[in-house]
Amino acid sequence: MYFLTALACTIIAGVLWFFFRDRKRLHLDFLAITFGSATLMWLVDCIASAIGGEGFLSFDDPQDGWVALWTLLGGIGLWLLVSFIANNGKKESPKDAPKE
Amino acid sequence: MACFLVSTAAAIGATVAQKVVAKKENKKTEIAETEIKEYKFGCETKWSTRLKYLATTLWTGSFLLAGEHVIHGEVVPFPPFLTAASDPASASEMLHEMGTVGVGMFALLVVAWGVGTFLWDLIKYRKHKKAQLKEANEEV
Repeated sequence: MYFLTALACTIIAGVLWFFFRDRKRLHLDFLAITFGSATLMWLVDCIASAIGGEGFLSFDDPQDGWVALWTLLGGIGLWLLVSFIANNGKKESPKDAPKE
Repeated sequence: MACFLVSTAAAIGATVAQKVVAKKENKKTEIAETEIKEYKFGCETKWSTRLKYLATTLWTGSFLLAGEHVIHGEVVPFPPFLTAASDPASASEMLHEMGTVGVGMFALLVVAWGVGTFLWDLIKYRKHKKAQLKEANEEV
């Protein structure tokens, strides 16, 4: 279930990154990478489960909902923390300056 | 069980490599600032930037997976921190999982990063070629 959540988040973040690719200060690349890497890691986990005979996707575990929520909030929280709070004091690159 | 630890270790390595490469690149740019460079495929993106993206990929993926392991009770805030490490049978199973699933995760992330950086370079290269062609046409 959390694999599907991460996949959905990756697609949404990827689409947002594509449409707002000129707004570098939003750091949407970071958000897309965060969800994308988690999706790929869970994809390997799902494949390993399928090879082990447990099935590719599982919806039986009651904690899966919490993991899905963690995926969403953890990814967005990390994006806010790293892109806006930790980088707040950094000087803006000349490349990021708006074009006249 | 602890598959995310492989990517975490790789993330530490990638971060260290990125810092070292960034230092070397800074020294190089100081020396070669006045030289006129010929355009080559992939020359627009620094290796430190590429490694930064790799480190970000590995760190963020490991972070979200670590949270999943905490929720599932596989990681605890007291020693030995990994519940599977408490008895030898589970520990060997954990090491086997790290060797298969963990390494698989790391390999897939590296492949995704490689494909991503190659496509990025290709887009930049095609943009440069288009601009060059436009310039040549204008001259004619």
